[in-house]
Amino acid sequence: MSKHANHEVDVVIVGAGAAGSVHAAVLAAAGRSVVVLEGGPPRKLGDLYSSQLWARRLKWTAPAASDVGADGAGVSFNGGHGYGGAAIHHYAVWPRLHPADFRMASEHGRGLDWPIGYETLRPFYDRVQADVGVAGDAAQEKWRPPGAAYPLPPVPAFAQGQAIARGFEARGLNTAPLPMAILTQEYQGRPACLMDGWCDAGCPTGALANPLVTYIPRALQAGAEFRADAHVTRVLMDGAGARAIGVEYVGAGGVRHIQRARAVVIAAFAIETPRILFNSATDKHAGGLGNASGLLGAYLMAHPSISVFGMFDQDMQNYLGPTGGQLLNQDHFAKDATPGALGSRQWMIAQALKPNDLLGIAMSRPDIIGPALDQFMRKAARGLGNMVALCEPLPDAANRVSLGAARDAHGLPLAQITHRYGNDAKTLIAAAADEGAAIMKAAGASENWRSPIAGQHLMGGCIMGADPARSVTDSLGRLHDVPNLIVAGPSLFPTASAVNPTFTVHALALRSAESLVRDWAQFG
Amino acid sequence: MSAATLGRRGLIKAGALTIACMVAGRLVRVSPAEAHAMAAVPQVLSPMEAETLGHLCETMVPGARAAGIAEYVDSQLAADPSESLLIARYFGVLPPFRDFYAAGFAGLDAAAKAAHEKPFAALAADPALTLAASLLAGAPSGWTGPPARLFYLALRGDAVDVVYGTQAGFEMLGVPYMEHILPPRRW
Repeated sequence: MSKHANHEVDVVIVGAGAAGSVHAAVLAAAGRSVVVLEGGPPRKLGDLYSSQLWARRLKWTAPAASDVGADGAGVSFNGGHGYGGAAIHHYAVWPRLHPADFRMASEHGRGLDWPIGYETLRPFYDRVQADVGVAGDAAQEKWRPPGAAYPLPPVPAFAQGQAIARGFEARGLNTAPLPMAILTQEYQGRPACLMDGWCDAGCPTGALANPLVTYIPRALQAGAEFRADAHVTRVLMDGAGARAIGVEYVGAGGVRHIQRARAVVIAAFAIETPRILFNSATDKHAGGLGNASGLLGAYLMAHPSISVFGMFDQDMQNYLGPTGGQLLNQDHFAKDATPGALGSRQWMIAQALKPNDLLGIAMSRPDIIGPALDQFMRKAARGLGNMVALCEPLPDAANRVSLGAARDAHGLPLAQITHRYGNDAKTLIAAAADEGAAIMKAAGASENWRSPIAGQHLMGGCIMGADPARSVTDSLGRLHDVPNLIVAGPSLFPTASAVNPTFTVHALALRSAESLVRDWAQFG
Repeated sequence: MSAATLGRRGLIKAGALTIACMVAGRLVRVSPAEAHAMAAVPQVLSPMEAETLGHLCETMVPGARAAGIAEYVDSQLAADPSESLLIARYFGVLPPFRDFYAAGFAGLDAAAKAAHEKPFAALAADPALTLAASLLAGAPSGWTGPPARLFYLALRGDAVDVVYGTQAGFEMLGVPYMEHILPPRRW
């Protein structure tokens, strides 16, 4: 019998990923009793084998979610399960949102506004980057919003990065070191990165800021209890429907448990978070918790992205460096910088490559099979260069998570995802493809090509906002109509920008968790 | 779970994690290539499906059969879906993955019979390569089952995994493996 079973705790947190672990560390350190329920296994660093095959165990498989829209959102590849969640296999590219990302509707009449501005989030970015160690060059990163300088020097550019950077320069474009939550020097007892490109398989050395080496150890040290293989089925409400009183979950052996708590944090990523809230419907909340606006599940977003490849005669050392890349370009980040479209775009340049897997060498040319494949593989293993364009999807209420007809092993409806890219996103991608081809040519590539559009990252579905009629939570993630039920994670994003979301997930979670500590008298 | 100070080499030798398969009536744990060499009996795939899989993957990625493609896929289909290493999970294929493979094999055989009046496993190298290549563009005549392009990408991915995604595959390409923690055996 675990120590908190059947006993009320201060806070129960659903999900042991980036957002849940920040909440657990902050709340436990403030003296709150904390239980974290994680639906996946209790991962440890020794589980993180250096293999693109074994890396797939870290990705999300169940509860299954079906894609029914025109464009898949990449749920499995982008999600995670087990301690660390999706952040255990994230690539640690940590740019900040820009001030304009917070006021898209006000400035352009399309998209949505955040209920906070960049200046509100700025100190939390600064503190998180000092907490975990972020490498970069603030001066060279000319597009960077104001904030504290990076605590660590930038990741190096190897031959691949240097070669492609020459293409950017020839086209009159800029590059800067990619800001990364990867240690380039020893930091707080964690070692520097060895630059060998195994980020997707999970970093077992502790150089990359996955929750197993950042906030989970802090939470454990402060007394938080983590329970693995604990599948939360629903949030429990009081009779008036005004307060959450805990959660129900299914543990080992299919045994159902009740975990009562004074506050509930749902940090179960972009699909499971709204699913749990839908499945928690009561007579007072017939459409699901937090759904008075009808927008629970709405505005799901994935970053439309493409890889652009170039074949070079030189040895590109493309096996060296972080998986996320070596260099950044945000020259077309202004919302109106691309003719015919509204939205930002960003280049991440020179990703470390492995021979296999979704982003590997062989998949760059899926049309090559038979005897020609080995010839291509041997040439590309030395000469292939690549970079990734990340573009902004406008929030669209029709893109959403809802409940489908299929049910899980516990009899609860599974999630269904309806998602497609809008015309603005397609225009941004087309512009990036043209620009990428010109850059690779200018860099000296003998041939260049691009991938199909793929969805990176998942955001939205429980968006924050100032108006309860048009959003699910307030800026702290508290449901408008159930303030002791808090959403954490990328589900909160009203817009997606064109930057990787994990840094912002951390900053929002830190702000939300500290507000709970500050306002605890309302909950206790 | 303390912050690691683990070096690249010899962090944790995970021991001999392998695949379970039936050999001569006994359940043994070996690498897929060893399982192939020992003529292991598939646990999930039928013998005909295993032959079809082997022929398709060998056609797309030479070396796949000897690398143990049929045994690899069979072992992953026998595993819990959350532990599966199959790349199909990245393409939105939902468990049970066995249904996806079985439907694809049936579709491939239907297409082979429509074009050549014989199952895919009986096709010679050239027509097999032509039919395999056609899957990427869409369903060939006679095809049934999952989207042909999806089936192509998943099985080509499986074959690439066993041929190029292992330590041996990296070595063949001259790419340094640079492991932190060695994967169990060759997988």
